[in-house]
Amino acid sequence: MFMHIFGYRLKCLARDREMVFWTLIFPLILATMFHFAFDQLMGRQETFRPIRAAVVGSDAYRQNVAFRQALDALSRPGEGQLIELTVTDDREARRLLEDGAVSGVITVGDPIGLTVSQSGIEQSILKAILDEYAHTYATITGILEEHPTDPAGLLREIGQRRSYTQQISFSSAEPDTILNVFYVLIAMTCLYGGFLGLRNTTDVQADLSPQGARRSVAPTHKLGVVLYDLAAALTISLAEVTVLLAYLVLVLRVNFGNQVWYVLLTCLAGCIAGVSFGAFIGTFARKSEGVKTAILSASSMTMSFLAGLMIVNMKDIIARKAPFLSYINPAALIADAFYSLYVFASHRRFFLNIGLLLLISAAMCTLSFLRLRRDRYASL
Amino acid sequence: MLVRVQNLVKRYGDVLALDHFNLEVGEGEILGLLGPNGSGKTTTINCILSLLKYDKGAIEVFGKPMAPDAYESKRNIGVVMQNVAVFQELRVEENIDYFCGMYVNDAKARRRLVDEAIEFVGLGEFRRFYPKKLSGGLLRRLNIACGIAHKPKLIFMDEPTVAVDPQSRNKILEGIRELNRQGATVVYTSHYMEEVEQLCTRIVIMDKGKTLATGTKDELKAMINDGETVTVELYALQPDHVANIRQLPHVARAEYADNRLAVHFDGGQHNLLTLLDYLKSRDLSFGRVFSEQPTLNDVFLEITGRQLRD
Repeated sequence: MFMHIFGYRLKCLARDREMVFWTLIFPLILATMFHFAFDQLMGRQETFRPIRAAVVGSDAYRQNVAFRQALDALSRPGEGQLIELTVTDDREARRLLEDGAVSGVITVGDPIGLTVSQSGIEQSILKAILDEYAHTYATITGILEEHPTDPAGLLREIGQRRSYTQQISFSSAEPDTILNVFYVLIAMTCLYGGFLGLRNTTDVQADLSPQGARRSVAPTHKLGVVLYDLAAALTISLAEVTVLLAYLVLVLRVNFGNQVWYVLLTCLAGCIAGVSFGAFIGTFARKSEGVKTAILSASSMTMSFLAGLMIVNMKDIIARKAPFLSYINPAALIADAFYSLYVFASHRRFFLNIGLLLLISAAMCTLSFLRLRRDRYASL
Repeated sequence: MLVRVQNLVKRYGDVLALDHFNLEVGEGEILGLLGPNGSGKTTTINCILSLLKYDKGAIEVFGKPMAPDAYESKRNIGVVMQNVAVFQELRVEENIDYFCGMYVNDAKARRRLVDEAIEFVGLGEFRRFYPKKLSGGLLRRLNIACGIAHKPKLIFMDEPTVAVDPQSRNKILEGIRELNRQGATVVYTSHYMEEVEQLCTRIVIMDKGKTLATGTKDELKAMINDGETVTVELYALQPDHVANIRQLPHVARAEYADNRLAVHFDGGQHNLLTLLDYLKSRDLSFGRVFSEQPTLNDVFLEITGRQLRD
């Protein structure tokens, strides 16, 4: 009996073209659109190029050892190089500036001068560097005048930059907020599996469809029919999400990390949540099928929005302003499960998300079953 | 008795849909539930099938109380719903197989039953069609096939010929007779009195949730005073002739209007000859003559004062 009902349910759901469009084709289209929209952002490697600057090699420059050492430190080739310095005479420096070969010309004097031909980020950084130097210099000079005990030691300390925080990498992957959009897209697709759950409840209730009435008069246990239908809906939903996942990974090259089984587990939990959600709406919203579809569609989209589908940092905003929502929003839980798999080496946060998802699904399923087990109706 | 309904009361809010309704269906019958729209026919069927809650009363099917989990009884029941209950995504043969499979587990036996059902309703050339490609009549036939493929002993048919073309209607009615010949008991609801007259071995006329009359069509017609009605086309008939006609034997009433004389008899034999003899004896020339036997509508009219189709 299971295979009979399950098999035909699969056929019914898979051949429902409108359903397949919303649960598979639409997410694929969205994924493609997102890919093109975020392509530049994702592909661009934001490497910092040192700012080219010229310094006039005057006597004052040669005599100002502290400033010279500071500029040498900032222009030393390597990861921390901020400026690419050219020491030249005043005339050549101005020519370089006019040609656009350098962003600014530094002239050592009192005060230290910066000449630029236009305003921009590089010019602002150069100015900030010089301001910082001038400020630090003035501070140290002031301290030495008041407390001239160990000037050499103080200068050594000032000259050394120390970091008091340690950078720890949770995984080999770098956090990438754009990825969250694709994770939420999968979450949305999981929730769109709710359309399958909704149709199941319509087709099993005698007061909602003639098919439901015909199935209700058959000598088959109703809970059995509900469970077989649910299994078919879950299978279709999981297959569709897997197709989307394969498209994202293999075609659009979205990075889901390398923990394939955990990724699939997230998809499964997401599909269970989606189908349960649809069954819940189908059972408890005592409205027409059109209204139920609208409720399901709007709520899925709202949950996806709150998880960051349309606004990249929405997830963080919700996490800060209304953290409770993040724990009851299935879309946020699914997306965060993917994200935690990608970013964190530990699975603690991942399993918290999966656990909450399954808990919410179990609650919705139980309530739906309690309602669906009703055998007779007040009216048809 | 295959079905016994006693004192069934069903309310929809303030509306009393079934008012202490009683019904008995014997084995081998084609029982017709006849009544206007809203008379409670479908509600009765749905209560018997345990789809609807009811306020009071008792229902037995195959001698056992009917309940949603009365699977043994349900196994022998077939239902043809008023609304077409098939899946649009399944082909004709798949739909029949699906619903048959809810009653019959054995795949081989089921394949044979599906083939027989398809042949029975004449959908052989459409078996690979999807329902949306079928005409209204063919769709109704598919609806019937889905309800009877498992060869039930008791079949409920709720207005199965609504919005069906005459060819399909005849096919459906002939099919129901064949099912009955094969041993099935049929409960048939309709508001088409001609169908019920043609098909049913026993008829229950109901209105406002109550039984008004029960019997064979002849028994029901015998319940009313009306016999046949003879209509004659006549021109310029004088009132004294009408008065004389009213004096003829067994004439209950006679009216003349629009050049048509309608004479209602309350029994007797050879009434048509008697009337025509009178007209010839007075040298009254006449045109076409019609003779009509009383219908179930006359029965309904007599009992309720309303037309059946009101």
